[in-house]
Amino acid sequence: MTPAAAGSLLEARNIHVSYGAIKALQGFSLSLNEREIVSVIGANGAGKSTFMNAVMGMVKRDEGDVFLDGKRLSRKSYRVVQSGLSLVPEGRKVFAPLTVLENLQIGAFPRAGQGNIAKDMEWVFSLFPRLKERKDQLAGTLSGGEQQMLAIGRALMARPRVLLLDEPSLGLAPIIICDIFAELRRINEEGVSILLVEQNARQALLLSHRAYILQTGRLLKEGVSSDLLADPEIKEAYLGTKSR
Amino acid sequence: MGIDMQFTTLFQQIINGLSLGSVYALIAVGYSLVYSILSFSNFAHGGFLVVGGYICYGLLSGLDVYGYFTIPPFNIWLAGLNALIGAGFIAVLTERLAYKPIRERTSMTLYLLIASMGVSIVIENIFVIVVGGRFRALPQDIFQDVFAVLEKILGFFGLQSTREGSSHLFNLGGNVTVSMFDILSLIVAVLFLGGLQLFLRRTRWGLAIRAAACDLRTAGLMGVNVSLLIGIVFFVAGVLAAIGGIFLSFRYTLYPQLGGITTKAFVAAVIGGLGSLPGAVVGSLILGLAEMLSTGFISSQMRDLVVFSLLVIMLLVKPAGFFGKQISDKI
Ligand SMILES: Nc1ncnc2c1ncn2[C@@H]1O[C@H](COP(=O)(O)OP(=O)(O)O)[C@@H](O)[C@H]1O
Ligand SMILES: [Mg+2]
Repeated sequence: MTPAAAGSLLEARNIHVSYGAIKALQGFSLSLNEREIVSVIGANGAGKSTFMNAVMGMVKRDEGDVFLDGKRLSRKSYRVVQSGLSLVPEGRKVFAPLTVLENLQIGAFPRAGQGNIAKDMEWVFSLFPRLKERKDQLAGTLSGGEQQMLAIGRALMARPRVLLLDEPSLGLAPIIICDIFAELRRINEEGVSILLVEQNARQALLLSHRAYILQTGRLLKEGVSSDLLADPEIKEAYLGTKSR
Repeated sequence: MGIDMQFTTLFQQIINGLSLGSVYALIAVGYSLVYSILSFSNFAHGGFLVVGGYICYGLLSGLDVYGYFTIPPFNIWLAGLNALIGAGFIAVLTERLAYKPIRERTSMTLYLLIASMGVSIVIENIFVIVVGGRFRALPQDIFQDVFAVLEKILGFFGLQSTREGSSHLFNLGGNVTVSMFDILSLIVAVLFLGGLQLFLRRTRWGLAIRAAACDLRTAGLMGVNVSLLIGIVFFVAGVLAAIGGIFLSFRYTLYPQLGGITTKAFVAAVIGGLGSLPGAVVGSLILGLAEMLSTGFISSQMRDLVVFSLLVIMLLVKPAGFFGKQISDKI
């Protein structure tokens, strides 16, 4: 276990998940400190989404526990959200027939009207001004990049302590990816800890403080992101330095 | 018979059709609501309607439970209220006992469909065993008080009321008369459907239900207790079905197979677009009108033929129904 694990904000220990005979996660552990950005990098099928869903209580864990502030997280996903974790799912999953505004409102569901929701809405609009312009439009009519912004804004409306993102760069143009990652840094600077899962290793390593490399359900390597960026093995397998 | 007579029939049958259609709408909307969330046809929906009808009937006539205890007759308001709550409760119970265990094991909705057919048979036969298969007539006279209020309100707008035997009628001018009962069922249906619309549009849980209709799993990621949400949806469906059941028992008669009439509501929901609530309402009104107009101008034996022809034509021409969406973004 890394020294960072002691007293960390979020800690996942020895997570095992299987889908029938397929063992998708075989004892993966991870920790995230307050105000930190941590990324999990892995190829398609490595088990990244499974890990995020296991943390959120969306898939059943065969083994392993998740702790927030040292307290064991519930296995019921609505309770996980209530305790301060918000996931931006893979493929964005905005509610297409609802308006942008309604998508943001549903994000605030776990707060049951507590706190200043209007103020947080303004905060989200300040992060993503394009959402404000389109607030009465149906979410399904937004472009891919705008939908990703909406999915992030929606997750932020729950006022999470940890924002989890499952491949936010998926299917987006490079310039939009840069925009979105810049906003993620800003969100982090405002005090939200971030756990990011990516196939796009370069972007993820550039953004995060620390990273874990996941390979077929197991940890391959972990460390400070800048070290991993320079690691020859990682360079070859995940950054495609040789081929590109 | 002259043009005048034809016109009178047309007008009268339109009102009858709207009234019948609004009852179908109550049933179809609840069915569609469940479909929109869980993507399966709940064939037990007809059972909820029968539960509502029998609770109402039982409380109106007073109950004597094998001599252990007796319940004196209730008035229509209390009997109706209990019927709605009772049917809502049975709907929730059905979901918890029969569907939830399946939902938790598989995402194949075919199993839910089959389970719902089973539940439908179970509910029907519980009534056959407990209260018998007899047809029971519920007298519309029970609505005397309500009719009296309606007469006052409509009288205020200058509409004359008349009586023919035991039925209360309204004179809409010319020879057009409408039964008070038709007006009452229309009003009640509009009130409840309007209330549902307000709930879905204006409340936090309403928004959650609309989100869940789009994507149940992702709604769960928003911190919505999905199990509770499904419970609420079944309760609402049960309540709406019970209102439909009560009005149908007064319009026709009450018997354990009354739930079979839900087939009409299914047809209406398909015509309107499965899972779409406005679609369910529009489909139901079309169906009610088609039935009543074919009764008025062809013959009452032809009405079911007309209904199912409409279904077949719709499936051929526009399989998704009027308001149907692509499977990827159904609501
Ligand atoms: N619902 C599922 N049913 C069966 N197998 C699944 C399911 N979801 C994922 N898997 C399998 O689990 C493994 C990990 O998948 P996933 O977590 O989606 O990977 P990643 O997000 O890293 O691409 C893959 O082999 C995938 O085929
Ligand atoms: Mg994935």
